[in-house]
Amino acid sequence: MESLRIVPGKGDKAATVQDTSNSFGLHDTLKYGPRSLAAEVQSTGKIRDRLENWEATQDNLKLQMQRQLFGLHMPMRLMMERKIVSQNPHMPILPQSNLHLDILMGRDETLECADFMTSASEMAHPLDIHADMEKKLRM
Amino acid sequence: MATASVYSGPGFDFTNEVRNNFLTERGIPLPKATSTGTTIVGCLFKDGVILGADTRATEGPIVADKNCEKIHYITDNIRCCGAGTAADTEFTTALISSNMELHSLSTGRKPRVVTAMTMLKQMLFRYQGQIGAALVLGGVDVTGPQLFTIHPHGSTDKLPYVTMGSGSLAAMAVFEAQWKPNMERAEALDLVCAAVSAGIFNDLGSGSNVDACVITASHTETLRNFVKPNERVQKERSYTFRRGTTEWTKEDVRALVVEEDITHITGGRGAEEAMDTS
Repeated sequence: MESLRIVPGKGDKAATVQDTSNSFGLHDTLKYGPRSLAAEVQSTGKIRDRLENWEATQDNLKLQMQRQLFGLHMPMRLMMERKIVSQNPHMPILPQSNLHLDILMGRDETLECADFMTSASEMAHPLDIHADMEKKLRM
Repeated sequence: MATASVYSGPGFDFTNEVRNNFLTERGIPLPKATSTGTTIVGCLFKDGVILGADTRATEGPIVADKNCEKIHYITDNIRCCGAGTAADTEFTTALISSNMELHSLSTGRKPRVVTAMTMLKQMLFRYQGQIGAALVLGGVDVTGPQLFTIHPHGSTDKLPYVTMGSGSLAAMAVFEAQWKPNMERAEALDLVCAAVSAGIFNDLGSGSNVDACVITASHTETLRNFVKPNERVQKERSYTFRRGTTEWTKEDVRALVVEEDITHITGGRGAEEAMDTS
């Protein structure tokens, strides 16, 4: 991603079963309900793609400009700091905040829709702690 | 997933998107958005800003609320009038109000109107007009009185007198004819009332009362229902009917509670066996 885009572009759409796969690497229909990857790729929800890629695109612009101004070390250092604070020893499925990450991302003193509106798909996830721990630790 | 995404999600839920697209393809289109009507205005005067709004909320051809509030609180010295989707204007102004409070706590200064304007336009631009909020933002800060309009797609204007909503043309006609710089408070308030009244009487989407808000450097005065030109009068006739007005041919009263005769038998058959279990 070497672009200096401000708002998300049209880009190719991708759908993955990574988040809903079972131990065989296939979509787990019993657990997550029926799903059609073809329909998801074909759907033309412009606003959805825009919102989902908004922060990533603008962050990419910032990192790209830092790279051109100061050199590669600058975005690398920021990414490293983010990676350090993102590592989380707790239960992966329980809702949690990450103040360190919020400060690094510059959203510790703002309120956005994502801060208080949990999407229905996230709330519908069953609280399967064992399965998520196994997935996290790649057991 | 060893590390979660560092980005916060979109906040809005799109789980029904695939289903809705499928239904649209099969000939069941999504419901159309109902058109909305409002008159909101704002103008500068000698000491500050006056905002005005009508109080009618519509759902298409139906008046949903005859006396709703369209002037929303942002901070002590900033107010925002909202036209468009009522829920969106409420939600957007409430969110920006919270963000402005956080911002002023963080900086330790009185918030500026441009800050609120920038927050609003950046948020609305992000949603591409899907959040239907057309706003008039006014307030007084260290840089003096400020007045902006913000369109649903995120474009903004900075003018000495502004109007928004379906009654904006009627209201703007009044401003164009009568507004002049450095007006006195009473004169400006009369002008704002005249502009909103023009919307109330000439636009079907606007109606009921006039709300106003006078913001000066030292004080913010909210004048709720400042003028009530459409007070409902006493009905000329009474429409209550005398008991027994409607005649009937047959009367049948059905008891809904079933009554049953129960005979209590003491020491009947099986009484001994039943006692053994205790």
